[in-house]
Amino acid sequence: MLGAIASIGLLAAEAAEEAAAGPENPILPDLAEMIFGTLAFLIVFGVLARYAFPALNRILAERAARIQGEMERAEAARTEADRVLAEYREQLAGAREEANRIIEEARRTAEQLRRDLQAKAEQEAQATVARAQEEIRAERDRVFDELRAQVADIAVELAGRVVGQALDRAAHERLIEEYIDQVAGSNGSR
Amino acid sequence: MTGLLAVLSTPPEGFHAPGTEIFQYAGNPELCLIGSGPLCIQKVTLLMLLSAVAISAFFLMAFRAPRLVPRGVQGVAEGLVDIVRRGVVLEVMGPDGLPFLPLLTTLFVFIWVNNSLGIIPLIQFPTTSRMAIPAVLAGLVWLVFNVVGIVKQGGLGYLKNVLFPPGVPAPIYVLVTPIEFVSTFLVRPLTLAVRLGANMIAGHLILTIFAVGCWYLFSHLWTPGADWVAGFGVFSFALLVFMTGFEVLVAFLQAYIFTMLTAVYIAGAMHPEH
Repeated sequence: MLGAIASIGLLAAEAAEEAAAGPENPILPDLAEMIFGTLAFLIVFGVLARYAFPALNRILAERAARIQGEMERAEAARTEADRVLAEYREQLAGAREEANRIIEEARRTAEQLRRDLQAKAEQEAQATVARAQEEIRAERDRVFDELRAQVADIAVELAGRVVGQALDRAAHERLIEEYIDQVAGSNGSR
Repeated sequence: MTGLLAVLSTPPEGFHAPGTEIFQYAGNPELCLIGSGPLCIQKVTLLMLLSAVAISAFFLMAFRAPRLVPRGVQGVAEGLVDIVRRGVVLEVMGPDGLPFLPLLTTLFVFIWVNNSLGIIPLIQFPTTSRMAIPAVLAGLVWLVFNVVGIVKQGGLGYLKNVLFPPGVPAPIYVLVTPIEFVSTFLVRPLTLAVRLGANMIAGHLILTIFAVGCWYLFSHLWTPGADWVAGFGVFSFALLVFMTGFEVLVAFLQAYIFTMLTAVYIAGAMHPEH
């Protein structure tokens, strides 16, 4: 407000001041003002053309280059990321395949091992059984041989006794009984 | 200042409407501020030079250490250049016109600042309302677009394209050629200068009239029996405020129009009409 009043005063003062000067056609340019106006314009043009615009153009070019660079870098990063992703996917697929292969192989190995062990066990069992049978047979043969020898002995002894003793019916029966018991007993003890 | 004291100390005796005398700064040795004689520096020439110093300082400060991300003064300066680059050069001339960007930016900023001096408090005189700057700048523009035409199209080719635009039936050239000559070489610089100068003269005259009116009407407060007259000063003041706002717009617009027309003329000289 104060400024406005002051400026009103100044404008009024200007009017009074100018009224004192002589008449002049305001449409015609004044020589001194043309000279100083030209000078003023040339100063501004010189500063702008010589200093401001080169600096502005430099910074604009730098800005453009920076933006271009950022965009290129972003593009490169994206390409790289795509590439790495593809690589990882490939590796992942390879790893999965490898894992499947290993599992399959392990399964096959285990199966093979199982079959081998089974076969070996069966073989061993058969061998054991055969050995046992063989032993049994051998034992039986040995027992038979022994028995045969004993029976012969006994028969000889019995015959001796029969001859040596009076044979009655009761003694006869007792002898047979004894013999059978003996045989059964020796057989049972064996 | 002596004038201001004189007005303050003497009561007004009747209203004196300001006229063209408020634009008289030249040819009066009493108004010389620096130096003497017809080429002395008076208020208008001092303002011109100060405006040049201020604009130069502004741009030097803006681009002294320019940053990649503009801030502060640099941002404002880049915005100004961008108004001319986008709004004038690329719009009117296309990318070919970019070499003229420094010249057009200088024209725009220089005229805008000198127009705006009319509304800056305590300065309040648009230096462009003196015909010198409009005349000089119009002359410069005339020179530039003619030189561009001669360089781009050759002296004879340029004259031929201006005076004998193609696609016109031969007898009509009797009419067209003088009209084209007058309009291109005489009317263009004249209208350019007068449009700017007259606009600023009118604007300053209107502001001065309402300011002086305010002063005259308000001064009745101290006049016994006539203090009611001061009430009308409110209207004068309201219009002064409104017209000052309007002048802000005019100052920008006239600078823009001058720059735009310059670009149109140069573009026309670069590319002959088909």
